[in-house]
Amino acid sequence: MSKDTTTTKDDTAAPTEEGNTAPRHELVYFALRNRKLVIGLSIVGLLGLAAIVAPFSARSNPDAFVGPPMQPPSSSYLLGTTYFGQDVYSQLVNGLRQSFLVGIMGGGIAFVVATAVGFTAGYRGGAVDEVLNMLTNVLLVIPTLALLIIVGGYLKGTSIVFEAMFVGATAWPWAARAIRAQTLSLVSRDFVGLARLSGVRSWRIVVGEVAPNMSSYLFLTFILLFGNAILISASYDFLGFGPPGGVSLGSMMNLAFAWNALQLHIWWWFVPPGVAIMGIVGGLYVTNVGLDEVFNPKLRSL
Amino acid sequence: MRRYFARKLLTYFLTFFVAVTLDWGIPRLMPGDPIAGLLSKFQLQPSSYAVLHSSYTRAFNLGEPLWRQYLDFWRALLHGSLGTSIYAYPDPVTTVIRHAVVFTLALLLPATVLSYLAGNKVGAIAARRKLLDDTVLPFSYVLTATPYQWLALLLAFVLASVAHVFPISGGFSYSLVPTLSWAFLWSLLTHWFLPFVTLFLVGFGGWAIGMRNLIIYELDADYAHFLESLGAPRRLVRKYAYKNARLPQLTGLALSLGTIVGGAVVTEIVFNYPGIGWLVLQAINSEDFFLLQGIFLFIIVGVLLANFVVDVVYVLVDPRTRIGLQEGTR
Amino acid sequence: MHKHVKRMTAAVLAASLAAPALAIGGAGASSHATTSFPRSQTLYTSGTAYSPPTNWNPLSIGAYATGTIGLLYEPLFLYDPTTNKTVPWLATSGSWTSPTSFDIKLRSNVTWSDGRPFTAADVAYTVGLAKSSPTVPYANLGQYIADVEQVGRYEVVVNFAKPAYTQWQNFLYGNNATPMLPKHIWSKLPASAVATFANPHPVGTGPMLLDEANAQEVAYKTSTHWWATKDLGLKLEFNYLVDIVNGSNNVELGQVLQGNIDLSNNFLPGISKLVGGISSSYGLQTYYAKAPYMLSANTVWLEPNISKAPMNNVNFRKALAYAVDSKQIASVVYSNIVQPANPTGLLPNLTSYIDRSVVAKSGYSYNTAKAKALLKASGYKGRTITLEVPNGWTDWMAAAQVIVGDLKAVGISARATFPVYNTRVADLTNGTYDLALDNNAGPSTTPWAYYDRVYQLPIQQKQTAQLNWERVNDPASWALVQELGTTPPTSTATLQSVYSQLERRTLQTMPVIPLWYNGAWAQYNTTYWTNWPSAAPTSNHYTPVMWAGWLGQDTTILALAALKPAK
Repeated sequence: MSKDTTTTKDDTAAPTEEGNTAPRHELVYFALRNRKLVIGLSIVGLLGLAAIVAPFSARSNPDAFVGPPMQPPSSSYLLGTTYFGQDVYSQLVNGLRQSFLVGIMGGGIAFVVATAVGFTAGYRGGAVDEVLNMLTNVLLVIPTLALLIIVGGYLKGTSIVFEAMFVGATAWPWAARAIRAQTLSLVSRDFVGLARLSGVRSWRIVVGEVAPNMSSYLFLTFILLFGNAILISASYDFLGFGPPGGVSLGSMMNLAFAWNALQLHIWWWFVPPGVAIMGIVGGLYVTNVGLDEVFNPKLRSL
Repeated sequence: MRRYFARKLLTYFLTFFVAVTLDWGIPRLMPGDPIAGLLSKFQLQPSSYAVLHSSYTRAFNLGEPLWRQYLDFWRALLHGSLGTSIYAYPDPVTTVIRHAVVFTLALLLPATVLSYLAGNKVGAIAARRKLLDDTVLPFSYVLTATPYQWLALLLAFVLASVAHVFPISGGFSYSLVPTLSWAFLWSLLTHWFLPFVTLFLVGFGGWAIGMRNLIIYELDADYAHFLESLGAPRRLVRKYAYKNARLPQLTGLALSLGTIVGGAVVTEIVFNYPGIGWLVLQAINSEDFFLLQGIFLFIIVGVLLANFVVDVVYVLVDPRTRIGLQEGTR
Repeated sequence: MHKHVKRMTAAVLAASLAAPALAIGGAGASSHATTSFPRSQTLYTSGTAYSPPTNWNPLSIGAYATGTIGLLYEPLFLYDPTTNKTVPWLATSGSWTSPTSFDIKLRSNVTWSDGRPFTAADVAYTVGLAKSSPTVPYANLGQYIADVEQVGRYEVVVNFAKPAYTQWQNFLYGNNATPMLPKHIWSKLPASAVATFANPHPVGTGPMLLDEANAQEVAYKTSTHWWATKDLGLKLEFNYLVDIVNGSNNVELGQVLQGNIDLSNNFLPGISKLVGGISSSYGLQTYYAKAPYMLSANTVWLEPNISKAPMNNVNFRKALAYAVDSKQIASVVYSNIVQPANPTGLLPNLTSYIDRSVVAKSGYSYNTAKAKALLKASGYKGRTITLEVPNGWTDWMAAAQVIVGDLKAVGISARATFPVYNTRVADLTNGTYDLALDNNAGPSTTPWAYYDRVYQLPIQQKQTAQLNWERVNDPASWALVQELGTTPPTSTATLQSVYSQLERRTLQTMPVIPLWYNGAWAQYNTTYWTNWPSAAPTSNHYTPVMWAGWLGQDTTILALAALKPAK
């Protein structure tokens, strides 16, 4: 699946200016009107809320053996029980929380690295740009999951933080390239030239002039990185390399698969985590598109 | 054009060099002694252990200083040898990989190409018909947000475990010995189908959305409005929009190869399909770093080749690049 | 897209679909191999092989393909754990004629699959390797053997330098029994390759011949020259045996349910739910019709690293024993296809050796109050200890979580970790772990092997033989174990008193904590073959397991010979 479905065009075309300079209230007006944005944000918001609040209400320990094994969903066990007799609903909401955490941390780290690399390459140009570009291209080619498997398979007892760091460290290249392209086109503009002439320091220019003009784009990029981090960590956990002891959406699928949920027809064990991931990531993508439409009036047509 | 390709090739060689170094280095930096791992399968008396350990270490060239091992690795690589595997000792790594690669290629090539083509077509149509847009678009969003392993689990559950329409695992039926026979080919096909559908569906969603958005963007460009104002039929305008939209999509294809490989890995595991992805997991479980190195290298070379193919296609498809490069701009 | 790009794409796609057939088709098939196995004449098995079959050397323990010992190579005697008796196989009898000499009489009509006769020369050669080759798995026997004489064509006398009853017994009977090798082939090998060469064209005395091997499976064809048909009236009713390399649990369960596998020795979570209720529709059977469903295969120990604190404190180890609820593990993790272990840890086939008074006096059971008291007495300061279990061993991973929960409940700060298999073996070998689960204590003919494993001295820096991984330094108990080696098997009273002492000392010092018996996983699909082993009085009670150490050494081959086609 392509992560930058809505932004591939930006590699070869200039960004629009209107969205960034439109008055605030106009943005909000369109935002509220945009169905995709509203739906997407609602789904993500709901799941996020569940991740924060629900673990307090559900049975506190998702690993506790609470009932008879392999029970289908019922009034006493909303999503049924696992092979071991654990509460699937409790595992789901705790897993949501862990997945959100890894997603935000991993996405955040990737965002920081991508902006640092992208801005530097785009603003500085020249040799620095060549080197960073080469580095980015090299890392783009190496398949993330294969690398994750090799490193993860060797290290003992990983933690959530380590997983997030690793996911973040491998997810940034495409975003860096996109940010670089944007930066390049902005840098050639007059206001940047003026700032340079007035002797403003480079990083000030980047932070003060370039970034605000790309703010919508940066925001969209972060959303995509966040969604991507969740998907990667779900695959990582599915392969069994995730942190032991915790519950995540990927680890639920891993256990369900390992304990024959397919043959024993314990579908309520692996279907909910997948639906949750689809909800979060899908919601994020839809939010992304909606926001894109809000910022870029050209897209509002259809 | 020559400069364009020269640049690309330079990038690829550099990537290859870095990748090979990383590939050689990472397993060696990891904790664990692979010979001890191999020998742990045998429960040996200390005297036998010492003898076997030293002979295997010599056989695998692990006693040498690191820099010499690195050079030897390059030398062997240029001779086409990737060493001996531990997982399937004493088969050479190239043999083990060779059997698995065909399965993965049979899965990846059709799935990627077909989902790309189908996704583009459907996305383009959706961009101009509101009805289709309202149904296809949400469906595509759902597909592209679906984790590969989950879709694989779902398909395996519904179509194989419950309905018994397709086999649930393997590359081919256990009762058949690999030969060029219709029965065997049919067995290959039925085992291939569900993994293929998994990869196809997820990919399709992404491409459809991408193309749809690009077309809309193009339809709003100046040239499109200009053509319309001249009275050109809508179909003509759309044709040009489609041609322009193809280019960023191709770039996107190259960028997403890494993700597709990752998707193939988890899909193969769910279906126990004996491709490269499944082999990676076996290699890790046996702590066979020679096999891991070899697989990783294959994946990287494969992705580089695919990138190169996409670059060539890009040039063929985009007349501007050809002309621009011939004039030597940039 | 351009027309020729389209055409090229189509061509590439078509080629890629046919590629697997072309690539494997040429490579895998050999000249005499069959192209497909007729279902009604084939026995499909799984659950033994985890990597592709590439080695048929019976000395390459842990690396040889399924069926190497049992279908191709055979030992002198078989061992029946359900009756605790030995079955003469390639030998017709074996006995101690003096404290230092053992006489073996061999069968006279056994031939190797290349036509050469099996004689005393082969036996003498195989036993002699203990002295001449340091790489064979039984090389430690070499120090005890003085020489091996051939007395005529079918009789061998092994002369010992000093009495070594238990070591010799370990070589002849039980799961470590060594098969006989063809001297005319093995003596031609360079000395270093004897234990490791792949042996791709195996020549054995057994009932089957190697037919075909590829990454997914190994296939054997029934031989018409098996000696047991004439001597014992045994015949394999199937023409082919295909053993499948394992994917994952759910894959194997699916195969069993669909009738594609006849005998599965995999651990299949949920099998107890499918046997008994739905069994009639799936045609599934296990050895016992209800809990524990499976025969017991080995003892799972909670193994503390005694060279490290706080595991070096005997009260701490006892607290561990009282803290863990094995019954809960058996029911929650295993759905009762395993049983909690006897406190001595000895497997059910050795029940007659267990001294009940010792167990009554010093035995332990699940008791959190006692665990807390013992913990207090040990002076435990609260250091977090880790329990290591190999990544991917799903049942142990789940059991480890239960154990850690039990330990936390009595106040021990514990955490489970799941390193890759080889890392975990390295940690145990090097003594850097805290707690681990270990199930190397497999079936044996007497309790000697069990205590030999527990108390083996001296402790090396790297315990590569996988004995005494817990690093207990108890010379008095080790002396008792060695006494077993020098006491003739006929002095049963002396032997039993030594066993009682060992049982008592083990319960009082708790170097290892037996938790449960892992099962000899065996699920049969009765659609194509019937007359499988079971506990019912009308069935045979042979072992239904194809694993290394069982197929050729226990009575599995008898079980296979007893199978009949289903009507």
